Amino acid sequence: MSARDAIEIDPPYDFPGYKSTALRAPKQPLIRVAPHPLEIAGPAFSRSFAKESEADLTTWGKSAPLGEKMILVGRVLDEDGKPVRNSLLELWQCNASGRYAHPVDQHNAPLDPNFLGQGKVLTGDNGEYRFVTIKPGAYPWRNHPWAWRPAHIHLSLFGNAYAQRIITQMFFPADPLLPIDPIFNSVPDPEARQRMVCKLDLEQGIEEEALGYRFDIVLRGAKSTPTGV
Amino acid sequence: MGKFVPTPSCTVGPFFPAHYFGPNDNDLTVTSNAAGASSKRAQGTKIYIAGTIYEADRVPRWNSIVEFWQADASGHFAHPNDPESSKADPDFMGWGRRASEDDGYYDFITVKPGGYKDPLTGLVRAPHINVSIMGSGLMRRLVTTFFFPDEPANAGDPVFNAIPDAKVRERIILKPAKFPRAPADALCYRLDIVLQGEDETPFFLD
Ligand SMILES: [Fe+2]
Repeated sequence: MSARDAIEIDPPYDFPGYKSTALRAPKQPLIRVAPHPLEIAGPAFSRSFAKESEADLTTWGKSAPLGEKMILVGRVLDEDGKPVRNSLLELWQCNASGRYAHPVDQHNAPLDPNFLGQGKVLTGDNGEYRFVTIKPGAYPWRNHPWAWRPAHIHLSLFGNAYAQRIITQMFFPADPLLPIDPIFNSVPDPEARQRMVCKLDLEQGIEEEALGYRFDIVLRGAKSTPTGV
Repeated sequence: MGKFVPTPSCTVGPFFPAHYFGPNDNDLTVTSNAAGASSKRAQGTKIYIAGTIYEADRVPRWNSIVEFWQADASGHFAHPNDPESSKADPDFMGWGRRASEDDGYYDFITVKPGGYKDPLTGLVRAPHINVSIMGSGLMRRLVTTFFFPDEPANAGDPVFNAIPDAKVRERIILKPAKFPRAPADALCYRLDIVLQGEDETPFFLD
């Protein structure tokens, strides 16, 4: 049995605190096929899909982007603690002012010509990864009055099997916006929520240059049972 | 249960970078958009699959992220979990992605996948395409599977037959169609994806 079956880890599709889920959450229950994954193979990305330079989001422009430079390190593991190697990890985020370099973002905050806010890596032999970036800003959204998203970094992982694919968000410790963020709080278990918060790890930073943070990510086992009730 | 508890999912949100998508990421027949990869064409029958993504009340849903994942034309995956991975087409990766357009339109160019025997269960899988849908307002991905019309193996496929209602099964069978944007040499199919409401697409626990 997968840990995902034992406790509710993922947010429900229909979560009233996040308004637009009401229009997109299926009304019919998800169909359980069998006590094994839908497909055991998953896409395998070669090294050519993530150039080394794509792990550094601060060297994309003509000069350094504005904001608090940070190093993000971590490991990708499965439920047994085994490293998930050679798997694609995509990262995207807004700039230090809270603005995405994305045509859909209408937030009245400045774009930074030196920050695109997207990176990719393939995990190493121990499941490890390392990004160089800047700390993203908080930004307002129209979900409810005075709605502000806490600073967060979006992550997309493929793992090594179809069932390991996951999209998530990473938050920062002691952010006063966390208790009022519907997306953070859509995860039902308070302990599970804390596993979306990175930890300060100064020595992973660069002395007198960048703060260090650590964020380990656990994927379902490649042969685990389907998620949900 | 494993010793480590999985990290929770969170919505992809509205700002997934359009720039991640190479111009050909929704064309599975070429892998040349990845630097250094082959620029040869995948083997098999070229097909074009398109449709519209709808949210509640049949409103087209733009900016949904759709991913395809499938076996090659002979039913192999270039992946260690496939015991016959050495037979996989080196010019076919099996994965593609694109965002739906302003009117909810999505499309992929690929080859018709082969069926195969599932190495875990020994059951025969009909030719099929695994489809994931992500987007703002979707807390985690939705997964469904597309099947082909007039395919005898559908009758024994464990995923297809997990859907109890035959009317609902129809909703994930590709329908022959014509599209002005399709390549001239491709067989064309339509399938709309309805996230919620009447004719809702069946989605699976993954
Ligand atoms: Fe965001």
